[in-house]
Amino acid sequence: MATCCSKQVEPTVGGNAKKVALVGNPNVGKSVLFNALTGAYVTVSNYPGTSVEVSRGSAVISGQQWEVIDTPGMYSIHTITEEERVAREILLHETPDVVLHVLDARNLERMLAMTIQLIEAGLPVILVVNIMDEAERMGLSIDLKRLQQKLGIPVIGAATARKRGIDEIRLAMNSYRCSCEQQRFEYSRLLERDITEVTSLMGGEYILSHRALALLLLQQDEEIVELVRQREADGYAPLSEKVREIAFDRRESFHLDLSLERNEMVRQIITGVFSAPEKRVVTAAERLSRLAVQPLTGVPMLLVVLYFGLYQFVGVFGAGTVVDFLEGKLFEELFNPWIIGVVKNLVPWEIIQELFVGEYGIITLGFRYAVGIILPIVATFFIFFSFLEDTGYFPRLALLVDRIFKHFGLTGRAVIPMVLGFGCDTMATMVTRTLETTRERVIATILLSLTIPCSAQLGVIMSLLSKFPGALAVWGGCLLLLFIIVGLLSARILPGEAPMFYMELPPMRLPQLGNVVTKTYTRMQWYFLEILPLFVLASVLLWLGKITGFFPKMITAMTPVMASIGLPKETAVAFIFGFFRRDYGAAGLYELQTKGLMDARQLTVAAVTLTLFIPCIAQFLIMKKERGWKVAGAIGVFVSLLAFGSGYVLNKALLVTGLLS
Amino acid sequence: MICGFCGLEFDESEGKKGCGGCHGGCHSVHCPRCNYKNPLESGVVKKLKTIFGKIDENKGDTK
Repeated sequence: MATCCSKQVEPTVGGNAKKVALVGNPNVGKSVLFNALTGAYVTVSNYPGTSVEVSRGSAVISGQQWEVIDTPGMYSIHTITEEERVAREILLHETPDVVLHVLDARNLERMLAMTIQLIEAGLPVILVVNIMDEAERMGLSIDLKRLQQKLGIPVIGAATARKRGIDEIRLAMNSYRCSCEQQRFEYSRLLERDITEVTSLMGGEYILSHRALALLLLQQDEEIVELVRQREADGYAPLSEKVREIAFDRRESFHLDLSLERNEMVRQIITGVFSAPEKRVVTAAERLSRLAVQPLTGVPMLLVVLYFGLYQFVGVFGAGTVVDFLEGKLFEELFNPWIIGVVKNLVPWEIIQELFVGEYGIITLGFRYAVGIILPIVATFFIFFSFLEDTGYFPRLALLVDRIFKHFGLTGRAVIPMVLGFGCDTMATMVTRTLETTRERVIATILLSLTIPCSAQLGVIMSLLSKFPGALAVWGGCLLLLFIIVGLLSARILPGEAPMFYMELPPMRLPQLGNVVTKTYTRMQWYFLEILPLFVLASVLLWLGKITGFFPKMITAMTPVMASIGLPKETAVAFIFGFFRRDYGAAGLYELQTKGLMDARQLTVAAVTLTLFIPCIAQFLIMKKERGWKVAGAIGVFVSLLAFGSGYVLNKALLVTGLLS
Repeated sequence: MICGFCGLEFDESEGKKGCGGCHGGCHSVHCPRCNYKNPLESGVVKKLKTIFGKIDENKGDTK
């Protein structure tokens, strides 16, 4: 039997690298430890025959060469998912010299069961009790020395994210010597009898111990059954018969019995090792977290977040104060007059002057829109977004809306594309592919293209409408109403059931300034680099449209449509802009308002129609790519008709009621 | 990096990139667990972090 006892680890001189495999539940800091051990020398490749990626790297520790393998997350040696199967394959076929089992100190009791399995399998295990810093903060105490004695393997406390314990892990890897007197964990008399009966019929050589294999056979693990069948050859028949006999006797209770026995073992191990404060310390973050997911408190909390974050910070400050200064003062009063003078002096041809500094000029319109209007709005939006993201609020929002979304045929998971849609609807449409069913994807795509404005559009609209009492409430009310109606109708028209949604909540935390700044800067940088060329291109197309007479003709053609929803013909410009890009359309709306062409009613109708209006070219193309021509075309037509239909109804309603006049 | 949505700690290389949704190339890493779009750090930020990371490492307990 080739367990760690027969495979004594000796220091290699020169050439031969030893292998270390990192195993453990997902999200316990394996990758951080992997990076700390390997640095930049990493390769990532699919494990043969699977789509699961495995990272490998190398490290030199006190002259000893190591190959480090970061295995996919696993919960047990008895595998269920493909990731777990790959992790076990690595243990079975790559014979690591050391197995680092990384677990989360905060969930010691839950995760120790796998440590027992690894030890039981005869693998050369070192236990890394990670995230000790958080555990200590929660008042949890772990006696690592005692745990080491009870388990009979090296145990190291660490907080790898803070580089704590890395040196001790390196030292333990290099000095690891497998003990031949490994701890044996006793099960109940009945189970021990079953294990003995199975192991007595096994004669083959295996990486895992006969004892561990016997338990896996009794759990009817298909891959292990196949492995044993091959190794035992003629001896497999009586072995298989014995396993079948025991399985029949114990029937479906075997898994439960085994699990209960292991839980009891863990309880005995942690007695005297692990202690938690008598009264569990409920931190302010945990209290806030609970409030955020409960409907009674979560909804008011969401409204507060939206009011201060979106309305006050993005709308009033970003799209109001900052845009007024940048666009109104810097561009209109200083930069534009200067650049117009410079270009007119340098370029004698009026048509080329028009291209750069004309009504739709690259500099006077495209650049001004991008820098003077859109940039400050998306900057404030991304600060707010990154701040909220860093607090861990989004997964709580997903849980909060899950119950409501179920009525729309969606689950809380759909919060991901919805939230991302406020940044950019195009990319959010792409993200809908991660929803479980086609039905969910189609419904989310419709709702995204219809009712979720992008950040720039949202900022401009908030800034414009906040100047008129009640206008913002009418706009928000219309969108919410349509979101609900369309959501409910979609769920009825598209048959099917919403799948289950569950997720492990990450801790809520105080945002770190460095994280917020980094994320905001990165998002802004890419956003700006993305929009600037498109704004320039749109200006060129508009210029071409103007000099060829096509653009004025288009505006004239759209005049009756604009008139039907009570808007002046100039508003058509914002709609044409909006089809290039949503944010470009929003900037167009801003300009119309500053020119004093619209009153409160018209502005509100235009804002509602423009928000609902057909998605921009990029979003439409992605819709086509994701859902095909038919669905994308149908959504496009539906959204456009609904946008103008809603604009028409809203205009009439405002005229009749006299609201906003 | 840590996913901004589900909190999963993962290496940049583990995330999904290049879905083609964004113009001007991919500047994000989608979380391997929940697919949330996490911004990929720009070159400037990475360089700054490397510089400060090295200073920090020299001060810390790692070799």
